[in-house]
Parts: sequence; C-alpha cells; structure tokens
Amino acid sequence: MAERMSAFSEPSQSIWRRLDPAAALGRLSESRYWMYLLLVPSAILILAVVLYPTVYGFQLSFRQMRLNRPDLGTGFVGFKHYIYMWSDKVFWLSLRNTAVWVTFAVVIEFALGLVAALALNRNLPGTKIMGVLILLPYFLPNVVAGHMWALLLDPRLGVINDLLVRVGILESYKAWFADPATALGAAILVEAWHGFPFFALLLLAGLKGVPDDLYKAASVDGAGPIRQLRLITLPMLRSVIAAAVILRVIGLVNSPDLLLILTGGGPGQSTQVLSLYAFQKAYKDFNFGYAGALSVVMFILLMLFAWAYVRVSKVNQD
Amino acid sequence: MITTSRRARLAWNIATYAVLITLTVFCIFPLVWTFLTSLKHEADIVTQTIQYIPTRITFDNYVAIWTQSGFPTLVMNSFVVTATTVLLCLITGTLAAYSFSRFHYRGRSALMLGYLVIRMFPAVLMIIPLFILMRGVGLLDSRLGLALAYTSFLLPLFVWMLKGFFDAAPKELESAARIDGCTRLGAMVRIVLPLARNGLVATSVFVAIAAWNEFLFALMLTTSQGSRTWPVGLQLMVGEFQLPWGVLAAGGIISIIPVMILFAIVQRTMVHGITAGAVKG
Repeated sequence: MAERMSAFSEPSQSIWRRLDPAAALGRLSESRYWMYLLLVPSAILILAVVLYPTVYGFQLSFRQMRLNRPDLGTGFVGFKHYIYMWSDKVFWLSLRNTAVWVTFAVVIEFALGLVAALALNRNLPGTKIMGVLILLPYFLPNVVAGHMWALLLDPRLGVINDLLVRVGILESYKAWFADPATALGAAILVEAWHGFPFFALLLLAGLKGVPDDLYKAASVDGAGPIRQLRLITLPMLRSVIAAAVILRVIGLVNSPDLLLILTGGGPGQSTQVLSLYAFQKAYKDFNFGYAGALSVVMFILLMLFAWAYVRVSKVNQD
Repeated sequence: MITTSRRARLAWNIATYAVLITLTVFCIFPLVWTFLTSLKHEADIVTQTIQYIPTRITFDNYVAIWTQSGFPTLVMNSFVVTATTVLLCLITGTLAAYSFSRFHYRGRSALMLGYLVIRMFPAVLMIIPLFILMRGVGLLDSRLGLALAYTSFLLPLFVWMLKGFFDAAPKELESAARIDGCTRLGAMVRIVLPLARNGLVATSVFVAIAAWNEFLFALMLTTSQGSRTWPVGLQLMVGEFQLPWGVLAAGGIISIIPVMILFAIVQRTMVHGITAGAVKG
C-alpha cells in the first residue's frame, strides 16, 4: 500500500516517505497544532532551567538554607530574611552603589555610544574598520577585560598611571582599586569601555533609519548640526534609545561579573552592589536563603524600574 | 557662503576623524597592551620605568600557560560546553523561531514576550536553585549541566535573533514547495533553513561567544578540573598562584583569539541580527 502510494506521488516525496522517522515527522507537521508543537522542545527547556528554578528561588527566600550549617535545617522562616535585610547595612550600601554604578555607567555609555554612532554614520572613507574595532570590546569576556584593565591601572606597573604622571595630571602612581574613593569610579570606566559599543551598535542602526530628507529640510531652514541633533535625531531615535537603555540597565543590575573580578566588592564594601552581594552570600557563605531574598528584592526593584521607565517613555512619546 | 559651508564641512570631517580615532584607541589600547605584555619577559614587565615597546620578545609566557597549568583542559571544557550550548539552542530554538516567524496564532505575541521577559530574571536568582537542582540530579560540576544553564539565558536571545532572519527569508519559495507536495517540515528544512543560512550561522556564533565568555554560572556550577571552563580557571589561577602578569596576559590572548576570529567572520550579519529586534520594536 505504502509502496503504491509512493509510486504515484512526487519523486521528492517518495524519498521522504522511505525514511520512516522523517516521514512521521513530516506527517506530524501537517497537523493543526504544528506551530505549538514546534515550541514544545524550547518550552520544556525553559520551564526546566528557567521558570522552575525561578519559582524555587522565590520559595527559597522564605526558607532557611545554609549549606554549611545543615544543623539549622531547611524549614520555612517566613519573612525572616526580608526583616533582617531591612537592618542590614551592607544591603543598603549595595543598593546605593547599584544606583550609582548603573546610572553613571549607562549615562557614560550612552554618551560615548551616541558620539560613536553619529561619527560612524557620516560614512567617511576609512572609518568602516574603526566601526568594527569599536564594537570589539562588547564581545570580549569579562574575565579578560577585568584583568587587562587591572594591569593598565596597576598601582606599580600600570601604564595609565605612568601616562598620567608624565602628562602631569597625577603626582605619583595611584592604587585606583585599593582606594574606596576611586574604586567605583575606576570600575565604571572599565564597564563603560566594555558596554558603550552596545549603545553604538543600536544607535547606529537607529540612525540608518532616519530619512535624509528631514536633515535636508532642516538645513534649508537654517538649522545647524546641534539643533538638528536635538530636534530631529534624538526624537527619531527615541524608541531605540528606550530599548537600549532598558536592556543595558537589566544587564548592569543583573551581572556582577566585572566587579567580582576587579574588586570583589572591596575595598571595604565600597564597590559592593546588590547582585554581587547576593552572589557572595551564596558562593562564599552558602547562605542560600538570604541570597535568594536579596535577589528577589533586586528582581522586584528591576521590574518596578522597567515598568516605570516604559510608562514614562510612552507618556513622552504621546 | 559656499566657502563657509565647505569650511564647516571640513571642520566636521576633522572632528569626526578625531572622535573615531580617539574611540578606536580607547577600545583597542587595552588589547594591544595585553598583547605586548604577553610577549615580554617578566623582568621587563616588573620594572622601575615602564617599557612601552618590548626590547626583547619571548613566547615563554605562551608556553608556560599552555604546559604548566591545566589550561588545555580548561579550553577543552569550554569548547565542549560551548558546542553543547549551541547545539541545544540550534535544535530547540530553530523550531521555536520558525513557529514565531511563519505562523499566526492565538497567544503568539504573549509567548514571544514571555521568551523575552526571561532575560530579565537575575542570574543570581537562578544560579542558587540551579545549583541545588543540579546537585540533586547529578549534573552539578558537569559540562552538560553548565550547557543547560547557559541555554536558559541564551535560548531567548537565539530565538528572537533567528526569528528576524526567518522573517527576512521570502515566503514565496516555501509556498511553491508546499504546492509541489512538500510537508511543512520538508519546506522548512529544505527551503527556509538554507535561505536563512547566514542568519543561522551568525546567531549561533553570537550564542557561542556568549557561552565561551560566561563566568558567573561557571564559577558557581563547576567545582573541579573535569568541567571547569577557562574563565573560571584563569580567575582561580590568578588568586591561587599569584600568576605572573605575562602568563596571565598570554592566557587572555589565547582565549580571546577564537572570539576575535568568529567576530571577524560574521560581524556584519551578527550586528544586523542584534540590532534588528531592538530597532523595529
């Protein structure tokens, strides 16, 4: 029966029919629910490795769990961790540092990214290769980025110290990461280097979508480059800017990698941020319950920020 | 009038070049310096006055990192984890991206948004439960476990990026194949996937670079040489052995070479894929 069918059908189809599992899948693909079936493998993965752990993490924040203190058990402790957090000085300090870290990093990265995108968008001869090189830091690993800059800013061997002394800005070499007054600033510099290409990338793509006619009309009306930037470019880029800022804020709040490598939160707690504090509570102290509570609070704050930011940028658009 | 505008133009061009050259130097100077450091003898690195151009070149640092530490094992582990992650994303993500790109059905946009929101979950919030879960099922400190963890945050990116490339592939050829009797699956495998080939490669490379570079999950979820990846290994070497700067620099250069090669090859398509979603949406 099957043979006779294949004899009548297209040659290409008969090849398919002979491979049994493929044929079965092919028949399955004609089902009404094929579009949902296509989602099943990825949905299973996401349920197993994202949603289930996240729910588990929320639940963990109400439980006692210290891997190095099994004697304490893993019972429910209600809001104990959250109440403790309220009086935890390091928590408030890391909240403040997170705000400083994210705000300054995003502002600097946006400014550098915008300048780079505007310059690249003029498409002057020979600038294409610079466009590629400018994007490179974004794709480099945090571990290498961190150590490269640690070497550049080293208190004894750092070439940046040497250059600054030669130019006369500094009198003597400075231990940037050992001084609580400069550690966060130095870390923000490294983060800006690592993250501004992301803004350059998105803003450049956004600039390509702004019609040239607008600029021509504006220059006929006598608007200079600065006014064109303020009245045409920035308004036209608004949705790209909104998307880029929100993605970057999420990235910065969530990932402690760079600070973990550069300073480990020190000296003192001067570069401690929420994500790093939560990670260290889990990785060093094995206090999973409290680390869970810290990350839940961070997640809720981030969600609130995202919601408020989207609302404000929508209101501005209308 | 014309001369002033021409002069203004020239001034802007000079400013543009100045800005771009400054930014390029800012971007690649750390890399160049690390490369130079990796070629210096340790005695020329730890000096009273800094040596800008190495007076003598040595490859000892490269030999040292490659032979005197577990670095080859670390690189191998990273390679296996990266390949597994890409494979998992390719198998599951391609199907999902195809579904989102080619079908319109109830709940589609909600599901797509759901895939995106997952990216907002803090890594720390997932790492702790993943640690406990993976310990429970014996995947802690395994390369498969780490790859599964990476898939969790890379799969949504993969799906969104690839959907953009699928959207760009013309639908007419697919319809023609369907009329000729191809099944939906046949049309996808034989028509759409080859058409979106560059997009598939670029999206895979993007995921591969992210997996290769990842540090935080690897630090938490691996505990031994058997599954530890290079970023964790390098970081631990710095802490434990007071790794000399030259050797550390050599290790860094070795580990970013694959990234730079892949980036150079698919840079254009990848950049296109990353920006498409954000600019449209």
